[in-house]
Amino acid sequence: MDTLAQEIQRLKEALDRKRDEILDLRKLVSEDIDRKFPSSAEEFSDRELEIHLRDSLAALEGREETKPDLKAVLSHRRTLRRPVEFIKRGLLQTTFESLNEFLDKQNEFNRRLSTFSQALLIRLRHDRERLKGIEEKVADCEENLALLTNKIEDLRSNLDRIR
Amino acid sequence: MTSRSDRNALPSETRPSPAEIPTAREVTEAVNAELREHGIQAAYNHLLRAELRSGGRKPTLAIYDNAFHFIGGAQKYGLTLAAALRDQFDVTILANKECRPRDFIDWYRLDLSDCPIKIIPLPYYEDKKAFHIDPAFITRETGNPFDLVARESGRYDFFVNNSMNEMVCPLSNVSVMICHFPERRPADYFYADRYAAVVYNSLYTASWIRKKWKLEPHRLIYPPVDMETGESGSPKKNIILSVARFEPEGNKRQREMIETFLKLSREWPEIVRGWTFVLVGGSPPDNAYLSRLEMIIANNPAGKVELKVNLPADELKSLYRDAALFWHVCGLTHEDPGEIEHFGMTTVEAMQNRLVPLVYDGGGLREIVDHGVNGFLISSKADLLDFTVKLIRDPRLVEELGRAAREKAQSYTRDKFENRVREYFGELLERVLAPA
Repeated sequence: MDTLAQEIQRLKEALDRKRDEILDLRKLVSEDIDRKFPSSAEEFSDRELEIHLRDSLAALEGREETKPDLKAVLSHRRTLRRPVEFIKRGLLQTTFESLNEFLDKQNEFNRRLSTFSQALLIRLRHDRERLKGIEEKVADCEENLALLTNKIEDLRSNLDRIR
Repeated sequence: MTSRSDRNALPSETRPSPAEIPTAREVTEAVNAELREHGIQAAYNHLLRAELRSGGRKPTLAIYDNAFHFIGGAQKYGLTLAAALRDQFDVTILANKECRPRDFIDWYRLDLSDCPIKIIPLPYYEDKKAFHIDPAFITRETGNPFDLVARESGRYDFFVNNSMNEMVCPLSNVSVMICHFPERRPADYFYADRYAAVVYNSLYTASWIRKKWKLEPHRLIYPPVDMETGESGSPKKNIILSVARFEPEGNKRQREMIETFLKLSREWPEIVRGWTFVLVGGSPPDNAYLSRLEMIIANNPAGKVELKVNLPADELKSLYRDAALFWHVCGLTHEDPGEIEHFGMTTVEAMQNRLVPLVYDGGGLREIVDHGVNGFLISSKADLLDFTVKLIRDPRLVEELGRAAREKAQSYTRDKFENRVREYFGELLERVLAPA
């Protein structure tokens, strides 16, 4: 038993040292523990939908432009940086020249889609507010009805007592 | 309680027979094989298992919560679990911020001074000087600050994650997640499905674990509730009580309850003459929601409504002893399943003291209250008015339902909780000790 205890202690100390040396959890367990999880909007609650709509619309708004940004084309060479950038930009411009008409249409479509989605969301919010207002009114009527019913019951039992 | 010397070995009934104990050579070979095939943590776990099976020590258990440093129902659950298991296990409390055994006595009447507390500071939150450690901010871009807790989890035989935080990847031989409610959907760093067992606090929580996480949870253990004042026959006063935190978002729906009581006072003053509505709850400083409630009450002096904020436990107990009815409508007009009461500890506290509960018909409250038997389930303010009037007009019904409520609340006592916990962890321990 003592030999077993000693051996366990020895192995434990050795493994402890190894454990401390490895900072990355993934290496410690020797497997990839991270995954991607697809989620379906159909399952979302009202609050989750609201957040999803807000984020989706923001993402849509930033991605309307489909033409390449020539200023973003850079070269990281130490020498000949400027001529290389000039050539790269020139090539890109020439390539996209023929597509410009199509890209203009696509941009217009993207802009309209973005505005349309925004309008739908605003309308949805207005409708929700209206619905909330109606629900409050109905709730108020139900409360009054509950009170009236109880008052009638009260009167009826008083009447029965008098009789 | 067992003595210190007894605590260093496995209980005799779980100790393996000499034939089942491996030799030193067998252990070394098996550990080396694990090291080659599954890495360091697997080898370490094998070693811990072998050590435990040899019967030389008690199993170790670490319980973690990122919110142990402040008072809360979920934290009471976790620490009561720790208290229930400390004879079977060597329990360590893992927290991210400083907390003292004295706090646990003050907050939950739990003396855990014999369980070491290990603090694992998380630099991501320390840099932000955040008091609340909110996992909602964590994305792939921030990296996972809870990896530090995950690493620590691998040093124990059992790791229990009691926090609402599924970003801690468990490394121990046995890992248990206590799910109080699945707040987030699976996203970056979701590891709930890597736990050996998921314990849940109500059937409502279980239904959302299935829907949101697509997981089948393992064991229902209702939270411990111990608010009985011991005066089972004292006469009740005309008090309607509500006990819930004054959350700045208004999720506990105190405004709706105050409006209902004020409407009753306005429309039918004779029926509520002599009745007071008392709302008790904790609140952070500068709570705009609380200020709004105070304003509503000030503008309606006709109705007798009292707010009691951050009330000491003794005063709350005396209110439980005196009050006759209990209102709790958390969940009314909700927009998210998380807004509904996952269990409803204060409702059980009220029922233990013979208050008749009138509570929202949803979430865990449905499991506690049986409509018309020991209280009423309501789905609108109209229902709340209707059943309250019925009860005020019929004191005998109040007495009858109050008695039934007290009886039902006996299912959720601390004793019952501790027995369920010991039984379940005993089963898990047997599985670890069983020959491979």
